[in-house]
Amino acid sequence: MSAEALLAFDGVAVQLDGCEVLSPTSFSLRRGEFVCVIGPSGCGKTTLLRVATGLLAPSAGCVRREGRAMERPSREVAFVFQDYGRALLPWRTVARNVALALEAAGVPAAEQPARIEHVLGTVGLLAHAHLYPAQLSGGMQQRVQIARCLAQRPQVLVMDEPFGALDAMTREGLQDELARLVRDEQLTVLFVTHDLDEAIYLGDRVIVLCAQPTPQQPSLAADIDVPLPRPRHQVATREHPDFLRLRRDLYSRLRQP
Amino acid sequence: MGAPGVHRPAAWSAWAISPDALALLGTLLALWWLASHGEWVNRAFLPTPEATLASLAAGLGLQGRPGALGGFLLATLQRVLLGGLLAAAAGVGLGALLGSSAAARVWLQPGLEFLRPLPASAVIPLAIAVFGLSPSMVLAVVVFGAMWPVLLATLHGMASVPRQLREVAALLQLGRVATVTRIALPHALPDIFSGVRLAMTVALIVSVVGEMVASQPGLGQALLLAARSFRAADLFAGLVLLGATGSAIHAMLAFAERRLLAWQRP
Amino acid sequence: MPLQRLRPLAVPALLLAALEAYARTAGAGSDALAPPSAALAAWGRAFTDRSLFEASAFTLGGAALGLAIGAGLGLAAGMVLGLAPRAARACTPAIELLRPLPSVALIPLAMMIFGFGLWMEACVVAVATFWPLTILAQAAVRQVEPQWLEVAQVLGLSPWARATQIVLPAIVPRLFTALRLGAGIALVVAVTVEIAANPHGLGYAMSLAQQSLDPALMLAWLGWIGVLGYAVNAGLLHAERALRARMGVA
Repeated sequence: MSAEALLAFDGVAVQLDGCEVLSPTSFSLRRGEFVCVIGPSGCGKTTLLRVATGLLAPSAGCVRREGRAMERPSREVAFVFQDYGRALLPWRTVARNVALALEAAGVPAAEQPARIEHVLGTVGLLAHAHLYPAQLSGGMQQRVQIARCLAQRPQVLVMDEPFGALDAMTREGLQDELARLVRDEQLTVLFVTHDLDEAIYLGDRVIVLCAQPTPQQPSLAADIDVPLPRPRHQVATREHPDFLRLRRDLYSRLRQP
Repeated sequence: MGAPGVHRPAAWSAWAISPDALALLGTLLALWWLASHGEWVNRAFLPTPEATLASLAAGLGLQGRPGALGGFLLATLQRVLLGGLLAAAAGVGLGALLGSSAAARVWLQPGLEFLRPLPASAVIPLAIAVFGLSPSMVLAVVVFGAMWPVLLATLHGMASVPRQLREVAALLQLGRVATVTRIALPHALPDIFSGVRLAMTVALIVSVVGEMVASQPGLGQALLLAARSFRAADLFAGLVLLGATGSAIHAMLAFAERRLLAWQRP
Repeated sequence: MPLQRLRPLAVPALLLAALEAYARTAGAGSDALAPPSAALAAWGRAFTDRSLFEASAFTLGGAALGLAIGAGLGLAAGMVLGLAPRAARACTPAIELLRPLPSVALIPLAMMIFGFGLWMEACVVAVATFWPLTILAQAAVRQVEPQWLEVAQVLGLSPWARATQIVLPAIVPRLFTALRLGAGIALVVAVTVEIAANPHGLGYAMSLAQQSLDPALMLAWLGWIGVLGYAVNAGLLHAERALRARMGVA
């Protein structure tokens, strides 16, 4: 395990209801890396994330953050839910929703407005700070969630198919925004998606998980680097020969039984 | 505990009284006038509208001489509001305590649901045995009876917090108390409001019954005295006042709900 | 697991045991508390001397009579209001004016007109059940699938045929729920009327026991009222589920 690994999965295995959802899996994230995890349904992507955040204890192995084992959730690892509607507080405005993270961290009230403003500016929601989640579109609500996670100043940002519930145009806009944000704030990201194109477009590395692991075919099927240049472009990058090559390669790996 | 059911808050300012409705109210009033003057029903049971109005005015001291109704109204109002407030505080407090502990919910909630259909007034004899025929007896029963709808509503509201929000609390390392105050209780507020509405209905009912049984000054007693002396106009005046009290309380709650739950209707 | 079925009874059983211990020792001779065992014995005596049946029959009878009147009128009124939105708009202010008056306030009026007895109680119960049933019936009608009403229009059904052939069968399950809730209210109001004024039935028996300084008997009546309420609701719930299954509704 590299000494610079920020988040390391060390033989993490998960058994649920007597069924092995994740066979012993090991990989690590370096600081500043954007790692995407893809796989068919039932391959344990969401389970992997829940173990990464400390919401679920692994049946074997452990997750280490900066070398120390993670046993419970920590503010250092922020989680973005796919179902943004249920992850925001409907009775608080956008600004106050972001404030929740600061309140939890015990940030003094005097400091909060400045930090909220900064984070909302980063996601482009400063003009909507006084609105309630119900008054916002799906894409904007997801941005509020991301803003709240950023307010935690986390070491790692873990995202569970965050754009899955959005329409294609909104999704593309948010992908680029996320890429810019990650670059500007120098974040480390673990991103789960079922969309192969999205995984290659966003990631520095793509990890492929397969369902129903066997001793011959463990959960971790592939861990592939994405050598595409940054910043990425919705049209140019997707036409890049390396993109198409990776896509063909991963597509066949995903379809493997 | 036992009260007439479903009630959506009717904001007074929100109804435009349509000409149809006005016509209906006018017709009802006319019918009353005809029935009482024409003695379709025994005059001792159905007073005329004017007699009712006169009794109301006299009772409220609007005709120069002091009247008893004003005092009775205040006594009942005081009892209902104080009892309701205490019941709401107790209900939310206990609900928050029980609701924050999964173990408490599992062991206690089924038993509490069993108590739901029990009439609050049924504990009056027990309360008399403990407190005697006193104002504190009535207040105690009001608080006891009105507390249950709020308690059960709080528990229900807290139990329905979405999984994602509970996990957000864990991920932010919010801690037990902060999770209850910043997430569970605000989420339960709409349910709590329904519970409080029901509680105020129960409080009014139990106050009136308590006043009748324990001969405590209040609108309940006023009605009973009027009935015993066959003073129909005074009885109807009391009914009008009691109805107005019920309406006023509901209007107040509707107003409070619209302010506190403004985020539900952006 | 059968043990889990008994879990709801654990805490109440514990409380009863505590009450038993307290009432036999520190609380002995109290006018308010009695050991549950003594209450059970008192209940047994009421059973054997038939006062249990008389009181229960009166209360249940008064509640049933009142429910029949109140629910009968309420369901009919609710259905009419649900089917005729214009009438509903006209009636809403009048309803909102009259509804906040608690039904118990009518006890002195009923007493004045009918004296004491079954009719006085039934009248108050009728008024108490009328409002919730009207509202529930109106809501039930409004929740009928709009497409079914369109079918009625396409088939050219008369308003009466539409009401009886399409709306009524569609709302029967919800009407039954409304009736069950109404039964609960009826029982509660009946007992309340007896405690407040009417010298008959379960409420009066309980008041009498308290006035005779017989806490065991008083607690016996209180417990019996609770059991009866629970049994009535459980019975109607069972019937409702059977009805819904029969009609193919969830």
